[in-house]
Order: sequence, then structure tokens, then C-alpha cells
Amino acid sequence: MSIIELDAVHKRFGSLVVLDGVSLAIPERETTAIVGPSGTGKSVLLKHIVGLISPDAGRVLCFGTDMGTAGEAALYAVRRRMGMLFQDGALFDSLTVGENVAFPLDHHRPDLSPTARRAIVEDTLAKVGMAGTAPRAPSSLSGGQRKRVGLARAIVSRPEIVLFDEPNSGLDPLTSDAIDALILDMKRELGVTFVVITHDIVGAVRVADHIAMLSGGRLAAWGRTAEVLSSPEPVVRAFFSRNLVLPDAPGGSARLPIVRLV
Amino acid sequence: MSRPAEPLLLRTLGGVGHYALFVAAFVRAVRRHGVPWGAVLGESYRIGVLSLPVLLVIAGFVGTNLALQGHAAFTPLGGQRLVGLFVSLAGVRELAPIIAASMVAAKAGTEMASQLGVMRIREQIDALEVMAVNPLAFLVAPRLVGILLVLPALTVLSIFVMVASGYAVAVHQLGLNGHVFLEFATTGIRPVDFLYGQIKGMIFGALICTVSCWYGYFCESGPEGVGRATNRAVVTSAVLCVALNYFLSEIMYGR
Repeated sequence: MSIIELDAVHKRFGSLVVLDGVSLAIPERETTAIVGPSGTGKSVLLKHIVGLISPDAGRVLCFGTDMGTAGEAALYAVRRRMGMLFQDGALFDSLTVGENVAFPLDHHRPDLSPTARRAIVEDTLAKVGMAGTAPRAPSSLSGGQRKRVGLARAIVSRPEIVLFDEPNSGLDPLTSDAIDALILDMKRELGVTFVVITHDIVGAVRVADHIAMLSGGRLAAWGRTAEVLSSPEPVVRAFFSRNLVLPDAPGGSARLPIVRLV
Repeated sequence: MSRPAEPLLLRTLGGVGHYALFVAAFVRAVRRHGVPWGAVLGESYRIGVLSLPVLLVIAGFVGTNLALQGHAAFTPLGGQRLVGLFVSLAGVRELAPIIAASMVAAKAGTEMASQLGVMRIREQIDALEVMAVNPLAFLVAPRLVGILLVLPALTVLSIFVMVASGYAVAVHQLGLNGHVFLEFATTGIRPVDFLYGQIKGMIFGALICTVSCWYGYFCESGPEGVGRATNRAVVTSAVLCVALNYFLSEIMYGR
């Protein structure tokens, strides 16, 4: 069953066509990676899903709500069921780590006592490997730690969809691996829908059940990870072969992809 | 001749329209989500503390110069006694509100623009939206309430500092009679002039806050964008306050 549906989404900025009729149905409780070369509209697509950008034509449905035309109340009702990890964490510098993670609870769970709130925050920070960091300032954290805290904030209110905007960008390979492992752990533990926007092919293959590839504002490939990696489309093979040893195209031997760090 | 002016005119009109839409969206957001009152005290304190030291220095030296110029203008006419009246009238009615507003624009207004600009380019404003927290109500409303509380108080403080420094120069440097200075300083102004000063302060405060937040909120990406937004915020706020001051004075004191 699809939890997010994009129906012929078009978006242009001035004369630049960013999305050119993208249709996609993102399945519930699975991880979908949206990949593609830089400047191909991945982040714009993500912003459509959360309703930060409205399409020029087409529809984006989340939980059945049209995110492009919904009023603020309906939009916020959907967003309360989502969490998002931004590229740099988007942590508020004026708040501590703990206050950042508690932020969604402060605004949407007034029923929680301060003690219960603190317990949830500590528990969530522990889940992302940041136990004991609640009193620290975001400025004292490394890039990878900021992402972990950003992830804690994204999942603290137990959303049904978690979106990741370039979770590996700017990180060294080992920290990238740790973030990928964290996404896999969260998927096992939370059982929610993950949407990962990334240009990190290795990470995408590692965490995703499904891959959608954007190229030139269009959907170049979409399907289960193994299917996309076996795609005969030249643009898809060119994109993935940069970092992976691909299985043969249909008709050839059906090896599983061998994933290696670049 | 008119061709180069067209884009500028269109840009200006476009900017005015965009600002008006921003203010309308802000009013809607506050009506729907209210003001986060917990943040107002902090904002008031920060706006006041940021602007107070420089404001006191500027207001002090404006008062000294008013006394000097008043003395230079009225002494040849035999009107030395009018120096107190000149200092208090100019200070209370015009200079205290506009100088307090300028200093708040320079210190607190630039901070608002740069803070919101940095939040914009670091996606923190988007993060608020995605967490279903209205950024206008959350970020702009406490700053506006803070400035509305603080700027009238700073205006009154400026008035007293201007008159006091004018008195010090008039009496201790120019040798005028202190009692006469104070008598003319107090009889020339009416209680309603203080009220008008407060009203000016509140209007300037609302203008500075909304203009600065508007520039920061729609900051272009990158550090240069934050720099540009900050610069435009202070220049636009100062120009608008000075221009608006004329119209307010015309309404309050004209005819």
C-alpha cells in the first residue's frame, strides 16, 4: 500500500525545469531511496513531499492529503505524522541538544510531564548513540553527531514517515557507514516508512528496499533495489556503475550486486 | 531616460507587495497560533541590552550639540533662555524617538535579520515548518512584542539623557542659568508630547522588526545572502523610520 503518491509532478524555477512529470508511489513500512545526479531535483522532490514547495502541475498525496493544496491545519496534521532529518541536522543553535530533541514534544505533546519528556529524550538519544549529550550545545558536535541528533529529533515523536535529506553528505566513509547502520537499526526497531534522498549510491543500495532514480527531472528507474541495479537502461547503468560492480543486465548471469566503498 | 528606472520601480513595488504579504501572513499566523509568550522576556531583554549602551552615548552627545547649537542660534538674538526649550522640544518631539529607533535598527534589527537569515540558510526555518510549528508566530511574534515593549522605554530614556546632557553643557560650559534652562525645558513641552514619543517609538519598532525579519526570513542562500539581508534591513529600516517620522510629526504637531 502506498503512503506517499506523486502523480505527474511538474516543477520549474524560472526557465529551469526541475521536475518533469514525476509519478511515484512510495510503499508503506519500507525504505525508498531517491537517487540521481546532483541538480536533478531530489531535494525539490522531498520538499514537495513535506509540502514546503507546491507543484506547478500534478499532485503529491501523503496519507491521502494533497500537500500542494491543503490548508495549514491539514498540512500540519500530516506533518505531525512525519519526521525529517535535514542535511546539516538543522538543529537550533540557541537550544541544547536535549532541548532540540524535545522540541516536537514541547509543541505537540503538552500532556507529557517534564519527567516523561526527559525520559523520552534520553531514550531517543541513546537509540542514535548520543546518550548523555542532552546538555551539550549543537555547536560542540561533529557533523556526524549533528546528524544523529537531527535523527533523534526526527523520530522522537514516533512518526509514521521519516525522511532523510542527504544523510551521508559531508561525512567521511566510516561515519557514513555508521549513519547507514543507524538507518537500518531504526528501520528494524521502528518499522516505519523511510524515504532517503541521497547521491551516495553505496548507502542507498545498503539501506533501501526500493530505489527511484531521477535524471533530468524525470524518473529514470523505479523498483526494488535489485531490479533497478539490473536495469538495462544506459543512464541507470552509467550512474550506478560509477560506484558499484553491477549485476549483468537481464539475460546475463544474475549475480547479487557487490557493494564496495569507493 | 525612463527605461533604467522601470526595473527599479518594478522591483521596489514588487518588494512593497511582498513585504505586505509577509505582514499579512504574520498577522494570520499570530491570530491562529498566538504569541509564544515565554520567549518575549528574553527578546525584550536582548533588544534592550543590545541597544542601550550605544543609545545612551548617542543620545548624550545629541543633547550636548543641541545645547551648543541652540546657544549659537539664540544668543545673538538675546534669547539664551530659549536653549532649554530648544533642547527639550527637539529631543522629546523628534530626536529621541528617531535616534532610539535608529540605534535599535542598527543593533537589534541587524541581529534579527542575520539570525533569521542564518536560520533560513541552515534550513532551521524549514525544520520548524516540517515539525508543524508556524515559523512566523514562533520567530517573529516574540521579537515584535519585545521591541514594542522596549522601544518606547528607550525613547523615554533618550529624552532624559538628551535633556540632562544639554543641561550639563548649557550650565557648566556655556554658563546659562540652570533654573531658567529647566523652567523653559519643562514648560515648552506637554505631557501629550511624551505620549506621542511613545507612539512614534511603537510604530518605528513595528516597522524595524517586520522589515528586518522580512529580509532575514527570505534571505538568499549563502553567507553573502545573510550579509546582504542584514545590510538592507538596517538601511531600509532607518530610511523608512526617518521618512515616516516626518508624516507622524505632521499628524501630531502640524497646524
